[in-house]
Amino acid sequence: MVKFSLDGKTVSAPEGELLVYAAARHGVFIPTLCHDEKLDPYGGCRMCVVDVEGSPRPLPACATRVTAGLAVSTNSSVPQYRKTLTEMLLSEHLNANPGGRPNELLDMAEELGAAAPLILPDAKREPYEDRNRLMGYDPDACILCNRCVRYTQEVMQCSALSLEGRGPTARIVPTHGHSWLDTECELCGGCLSTCPTGAIYEKFHEGAPPQHERSLDQVKSTCTFCGVGCQIDLHVDPATKRIVKVTSDPGYVSNEGNLCVKGRFAFNFVHHPDRLTQPLVRGEDGELHPTSWDDALRVAAEGLRGVKERHGPQAIGVLASARLTMEENFLLQKLARTALETHSIHSCEAT
Amino acid sequence: MDVLRLTSLLAELPTPRTSLLDNLGRIRREVGPITAELSDALADHMNIRHGEVHEVKSFYSFLEVPVDALRVCTGPVCDCFGARALLARTQEHAPPDATVLEVPCLGHCELAPVATRGDTILPFGRDEPVLHRANEGPSLGLGQADGTLADYERRGGLELLRSLPSPERILAELKASGLAGYGGAGFPTGLKWEAIAAEPEPRYVIVNADEGEPGTIKDRYVMELRPHLLLEGTLLAMRFARATEGFVYLREEYATARDRLARAIGEFRAAGLLDGLSLELVVGAGAYICGEETAMLESMEGRRGMPRLKPPYPSRFGYLGRPTLINNVETLAHIPAILRAGGERWPRGRLWSVTGAVREPGCFEAPLDVTPRRLIEEYAGGASDEIGAIVPGGAASGILPPAALDVPLTREALREWGAGPGSAGLQVFPRRYPPLRLLGETMRFFAEESCQKCTPCRIGNRALHHICAELEHGEAAMPRPQVEEWLDAMAATSICGLGQGAPIPVRNAFRLWPELFAPLGSA
Ligand SMILES: Cc1cc2nc3c(=O)[nH]c(=O)nc-3n(C[C@H](O)[C@H](O)[C@H](O)COP(=O)(O)O)c2cc1C
Ligand code: SF4
Ligand code: SF4
Ligand code: SF4
Ligand code: SF4
Ligand code: FES
Repeated sequence: MVKFSLDGKTVSAPEGELLVYAAARHGVFIPTLCHDEKLDPYGGCRMCVVDVEGSPRPLPACATRVTAGLAVSTNSSVPQYRKTLTEMLLSEHLNANPGGRPNELLDMAEELGAAAPLILPDAKREPYEDRNRLMGYDPDACILCNRCVRYTQEVMQCSALSLEGRGPTARIVPTHGHSWLDTECELCGGCLSTCPTGAIYEKFHEGAPPQHERSLDQVKSTCTFCGVGCQIDLHVDPATKRIVKVTSDPGYVSNEGNLCVKGRFAFNFVHHPDRLTQPLVRGEDGELHPTSWDDALRVAAEGLRGVKERHGPQAIGVLASARLTMEENFLLQKLARTALETHSIHSCEAT
Repeated sequence: MDVLRLTSLLAELPTPRTSLLDNLGRIRREVGPITAELSDALADHMNIRHGEVHEVKSFYSFLEVPVDALRVCTGPVCDCFGARALLARTQEHAPPDATVLEVPCLGHCELAPVATRGDTILPFGRDEPVLHRANEGPSLGLGQADGTLADYERRGGLELLRSLPSPERILAELKASGLAGYGGAGFPTGLKWEAIAAEPEPRYVIVNADEGEPGTIKDRYVMELRPHLLLEGTLLAMRFARATEGFVYLREEYATARDRLARAIGEFRAAGLLDGLSLELVVGAGAYICGEETAMLESMEGRRGMPRLKPPYPSRFGYLGRPTLINNVETLAHIPAILRAGGERWPRGRLWSVTGAVREPGCFEAPLDVTPRRLIEEYAGGASDEIGAIVPGGAASGILPPAALDVPLTREALREWGAGPGSAGLQVFPRRYPPLRLLGETMRFFAEESCQKCTPCRIGNRALHHICAELEHGEAAMPRPQVEEWLDAMAATSICGLGQGAPIPVRNAFRLWPELFAPLGSA
């Protein structure tokens, strides 16, 4: 731990900690836009600049590390810079709401009372075509913070997005401006999750009301699609009680806020009319009929016992679902080897 | 696309990431403009993700256009000689399959208006242009060209390399000379060299030969006329820094300089002067920002040329994270004279590019405190038109009225005018060229060359260009007090010198040409 000064107060923090976190712990909130704790410090948007004694210019708190004796001030000219930078970003922010995702730039504008003094004549960016049905991207909502691209390079390693060009025509696009489907994208939605303005959004929410996501109830859950067990937040429409979208928080231990395409986008099954919600057993009439778990398990056990008695245990094979956890797989092989007495057990996860 | 050529070429291309820019340049020259397919093929060959190569190749202005594209300069000096009209006419008459490209300053302002096709310089309307107009300055001696290494040796060259002064003496002479970087920032060279010597080895040396500052042609003169002198300065730097690897980062447009340097490096190698050392030419691909030292490092490492956050400075964290000494071409070229004469006795001077409305534009060595009037009258043959405005350094140095013609062009004297000597590219504009147009064009230049990393530069310069354009028809796009706030934020919060310096000419124009900004209201 080292001591440093923050707005005149002496405080302490681990040496090398990013200033933005150290300040937050001591009650000084420094706004950020291009920063994401999952990514390497970038220092592009300049929203987080603070005065540091001895430095000829303010420094970005998202990329400056605490050292002993650092003297930091967030008063003086810093608030005016924040407001000006917000005005600048607004002056090319043609679409603040492509898909109802939270927009941190608008939050900032509201808090600082900033508005665009002009709209840049070259604000309109070249659109592009995308054939996928999951993720949408509107270049006119993008503030070029480069978080999405850095996510693709530093976390997902898909590198399916790029910051194309230089000067006023620069824009973020799936590589070469192709559809996401024609890049190395796996539609994990990670770039979407880090986008601070909602420029990348769930396509099935195109045109949703502003900040739609914030009006939804959140239910914490676990993705059931595979054994990783990613922690997720189901966003539920309070009126219809239907899941509208899925997000995940960087603080969740098993997955640190990252998801794959299934956890992020494949939640429609929950409300599907064909989804089985209770056990079914085939009756004498050849049709499936709802029953209790006890009954269903009894019927299954009798059936398996019958096969074993008539044809011997090796007539039974067990195929484990890829969705089981390691512990569940362990129990299943126990059941197969000790109760069913068969060697034939396999998981579809094996290749 | 010539698949066979691509296949055989790919096999020859090295795969380290640091070769990316060079590989892209070779594919462009030998196969064709870098398309998505070529970009992906190279990415696969080098085992880099497709997106990362796409990002890099689209960053530069030239990689996606054919080698024989006609590049018409619309830099400030060319613009004042009607380059826009020439561009329009050229586009109109060009065959449908020809590529005509508008480019900012080509670094041949003494030939303005000028264009290039491939490696050929095409001054509009003149058959036999005077290629070099230089004086025999006491430090650089540009009056006489060195054709070969033998020519250079006959003029006393290589003596220092053969009997290298001690590092202590080199430092002492550099400090005594007062030499301060001629790339534009003016950092004391002695201090920079001292800093590098204190860092751990291995260290690198990079020569900044990316000269892209509008109105600046001086480094090209050094490289075309006295390439061996630059190499001697460079080797002195490498020997001093105990660096075994050196690089010259050269802008793509300087074809003659590229040939002369390559030949001179060959001669040095043949003479055994590079034994145990490597000195490599790195050729850019059209991006002014790569002249900024940390953008240059990124570019050399195979990423987009976007400046790094400083500190740490390159002397601590430079090429591949190692301590790196980066100096401008002219800075290094003065070092042999400094060591020969001794720092105290070295005739303090620098190269002034003098272009625009003068009879004999060129590049002249003159004292640091020379005035614009002396440069124009005694060196450049006098004004060719009534002078309306002068720009003392480069794009961010300020726009001055004729009243400033007698101001010594020193940092201190120009500070009084809210200006600076920058890269010493004195541009003389005729009265018929409106200063507001000049300011607007300068902002457009900054906007188009901005790497896009930081908000204030990315958006501020576009807004300022728009504000100037609106002012031309008497409209106010933004009230003056708010413009001042935007300028403050640009100067203070931009990452690199491009965004930090862009407000200088605007503020300076506010002060010196207040009538132009009346529609914006009072400050
Ligand atoms: C936008 C920008 C462009 C620059 N372009 C050049 C250039 O073309 N050549 C150059 O020598 N320095 C250029 N510089 C300055 C370099 O960053 C660096 O300061 C210089 O190369 C150091 O060498 P010196 O100390 O010998 O001047 C540029 C700086 C900025 C901010
Ligand atoms: S959705 Fe995932 S895989 Fe696709 S570009 Fe974004 S981060 Fe990469
Ligand atoms: S799409 Fe979103 S994350 Fe990506 S650069 Fe634009 S605003 Fe930032
Ligand atoms: S399916 Fe994907 S989101 Fe779900 S737990 Fe597995 S990895 Fe996580
Ligand atoms: S000031 Fe301009 S050129 Fe420099 S880093 Fe920022 S955006 Fe890039
Ligand atoms: S959050 Fe620090 S510069 Fe963007």
